[in-house]
Amino acid sequence: MRPTIRALVTAVVVVVPPVVIGITRGVGSPGFVLATLAGGIVVGELLELCPPVRAAIPLSYAVVLVLLRAASVQEFVITVAAAELVAAVLRDAPGVVVRVECLARRLVAIGAALGVYSAIASVGSSDNETVMLAALAGAGLVEFAVDEVAGEIGRWHLDLSGHGRSAQLALVTSGMLMAVGYGGLGGRGGMGLWGPALFSVPLLAAWYSFARLAVIRRTYTQTLRALSIVPELGGLVRPGHGARVADVSTEMGRELGLEPHEIEYLQAASLLHHIGHVCLDDPEVLGRPIEASEVARASAEMLRQAEFLAPAADLLSPDPLPFGGAPRSTMSTAGQVLRVASAFDELSEGGDERLARGAVEALYSGPGYVYDPRVLAALERVLERVPRVDGRVAVT
Amino acid sequence: MIRRLNLLSLTVGIVTGAAMAAVGVTAARGPAPDWVFLAVLGGLTVLASNRSVAFRDDAVFSADSMLVMASVVAFRPSGALLGPVLVGMCAGLDIAQFRERAWQKVLFNCGQYGLGALAAALVFWVAPASALSSAPWLILMALAGAVAFSVTTIVMLAVVLSLTTGERFRSVLGTLWRMHIEGLPFALLGVFLGRLYLDVGLVVVPLFVTPILVAREAFASYLALKRSHGDTVRILIGALEAKDPYTAGHAERVAMFTHYIGLELGLSAKGLERLRLAALMHDVGKLVVPNHLLNKPGRLTEEEFARVQMHEEVSVEILSRIDFLAPVAPSALSEHTRFKPVADAKGQPIEPHIVAVADAFDAMTSTRSYRKALPQATAFLELRENAGKQFHPRVVDALIVAIERRDERYGEGHEADIHDFGVEPPDAGLGSAGLGDLLHDEVPDSSEATQS
Repeated sequence: MRPTIRALVTAVVVVVPPVVIGITRGVGSPGFVLATLAGGIVVGELLELCPPVRAAIPLSYAVVLVLLRAASVQEFVITVAAAELVAAVLRDAPGVVVRVECLARRLVAIGAALGVYSAIASVGSSDNETVMLAALAGAGLVEFAVDEVAGEIGRWHLDLSGHGRSAQLALVTSGMLMAVGYGGLGGRGGMGLWGPALFSVPLLAAWYSFARLAVIRRTYTQTLRALSIVPELGGLVRPGHGARVADVSTEMGRELGLEPHEIEYLQAASLLHHIGHVCLDDPEVLGRPIEASEVARASAEMLRQAEFLAPAADLLSPDPLPFGGAPRSTMSTAGQVLRVASAFDELSEGGDERLARGAVEALYSGPGYVYDPRVLAALERVLERVPRVDGRVAVT
Repeated sequence: MIRRLNLLSLTVGIVTGAAMAAVGVTAARGPAPDWVFLAVLGGLTVLASNRSVAFRDDAVFSADSMLVMASVVAFRPSGALLGPVLVGMCAGLDIAQFRERAWQKVLFNCGQYGLGALAAALVFWVAPASALSSAPWLILMALAGAVAFSVTTIVMLAVVLSLTTGERFRSVLGTLWRMHIEGLPFALLGVFLGRLYLDVGLVVVPLFVTPILVAREAFASYLALKRSHGDTVRILIGALEAKDPYTAGHAERVAMFTHYIGLELGLSAKGLERLRLAALMHDVGKLVVPNHLLNKPGRLTEEEFARVQMHEEVSVEILSRIDFLAPVAPSALSEHTRFKPVADAKGQPIEPHIVAVADAFDAMTSTRSYRKALPQATAFLELRENAGKQFHPRVVDALIVAIERRDERYGEGHEADIHDFGVEPPDAGLGSAGLGDLLHDEVPDSSEATQS
């Protein structure tokens, strides 16, 4: 389906049922509320909050909290099922399998939310503020927990840390606010559908911000990757060197427990650690070969021109320290990682599997330089699990 | 000048005095506000006014007017007018101004927002209290209140701004007004927040503020990353200029001319951004050309010429690896940017033609290693002559119209930074190694013919 056609169909599917019910049964009827919220779920399924690092989450999870407040269990089940089915058809997904998988994931997550909500709400009367807030919060949190576990099944890569969860936090609090706006709290207040409509604005602002962030993130990463091939196209470096070093050093950084921002700088520095080469004169013109330290210095100088990349520039230490030279501690772990990853790529001639063992051994014995054994151990662990294509380290 | 300063002090004095009087009167005559809620809202307002959210790159919106409107509604039933006035004054507490010890500014801002809040509150006081409980009425009153708030603050600010900058009062008013119109939906939201607080109490505040803070953080990361991206592009331009000092400022100027043309042709904001990046990066492939060939003072051999020409394909290769720029990647290819009157198929992107024209114009109007800058009239003439042959005629027209309307001058005698050249460039001649210059059909020949 073309995007414009999809948008048109969505608009019709979302707007027509509430309008018809509103005209025939009146805007105060329960059917109108359910039809409107079902429309909200469909739209929410198509608008996903895309935080960096974490998986995308649909805004419909917030509307579900309003529906919990507004509908009986039976109505809830029917409304959610109908809305999710429609969303599964309209979704921009490749193939039926992905659609069904996604649908199942949503239904399981929302089902769990319904269970938790009912369980907590049954503890006290529906007029009890604390119980109501706890029920809504519990339902919201369970939605994400189940969604995340279901999404990561088969990959066995569940990240339980709190990092990057601000989008989920925004979604739960917004959903609670929208639900409270709809039905009030402790028997007081409640603006009906005006509440969720108006109080979705902060959530939409968050969605918009995350959408912009995702786009620029992509462009930024791709720009770095594109620039990394400049020395390769100029025939100065082995093709794919920058990308391979970036991938391996990122994995090593994670292995060594570097902070996310350190890994970002490490990635940028890895991709651009040869960029300075293009500014140097040709060896024929100079009348002598170009030293590795000159390249590192030129690259660092270029990166330093950009305020935001200055920390990345610091990772490119200019001089290979001679054996027994300056103490290792003067160099950051990230700098060591970059050095090791780059040396490994050169020694193994582009991550060739047959040469990998020998390359690691050569690094341990230190060709004129002592590498941190901790960093080398991280390289070995990474090499065991990094994906390979045709016996070479695969580049993402 | 002295009169102006006195007028300014007088205005600030009047605003501050009026705000003080408002505080005094409302405190003495009205009931006391709920201090806990006042403290929470006031604190949040200070936070909001110091951490504004930019919802578009040029439109900065801060959440403070939203919180002021919330306080207007929240204090309505108790009748404590002091509440909104104090919350409004909190919106004027800018930490940066405290640090600069710009006391006059702080006083004025506090007074201005305090009086604005009072104006909005009075709108709600005039209406019956029962109007608070029906949503359509509330929307109506929210609009009236927000307008009262905006009008009061804008008029005061416009007076002070026109006194300090010397700009005309009405033009300042127009700019400020547009900014406030964009904030109107948020003022509306503030009213409903106040309403919800009246119903369910303080718990709504964290529920409301959390997603806004998350949105703000995400937007801040977006801006930071955008700056990093800009920096990365600038690195590459810096490297190009280091290799070829004659092209200093070339990429930026081409980006500016493409922007002019894009505006003239009515491109979207996204299209303009794409165009800007494509223009900045159109020469990226030159990075792989060895330094000695880029600045070779004599003529290039055929082999050398081929090597230099290769840069275009490298540029395309690099641009097409960036999804955002992939559609305009052909901008870097002189072959593709040539205008073909017959094959001007619809659906062909116009961006490459825009970059080509801007590139050629800047190449002609700036000094290169092979010739000095041409006068603007000559460059226009050259573009017009080749419009429909080499260049897209609409694009040529757009550039000329845009530059003439702005009354700007480029070319001989108008260059921004004139280089100190080791070897004086020759006076005449077009085209060299095809580096974004005029390319005539007999490319290598023209490059050889130019050296005097």
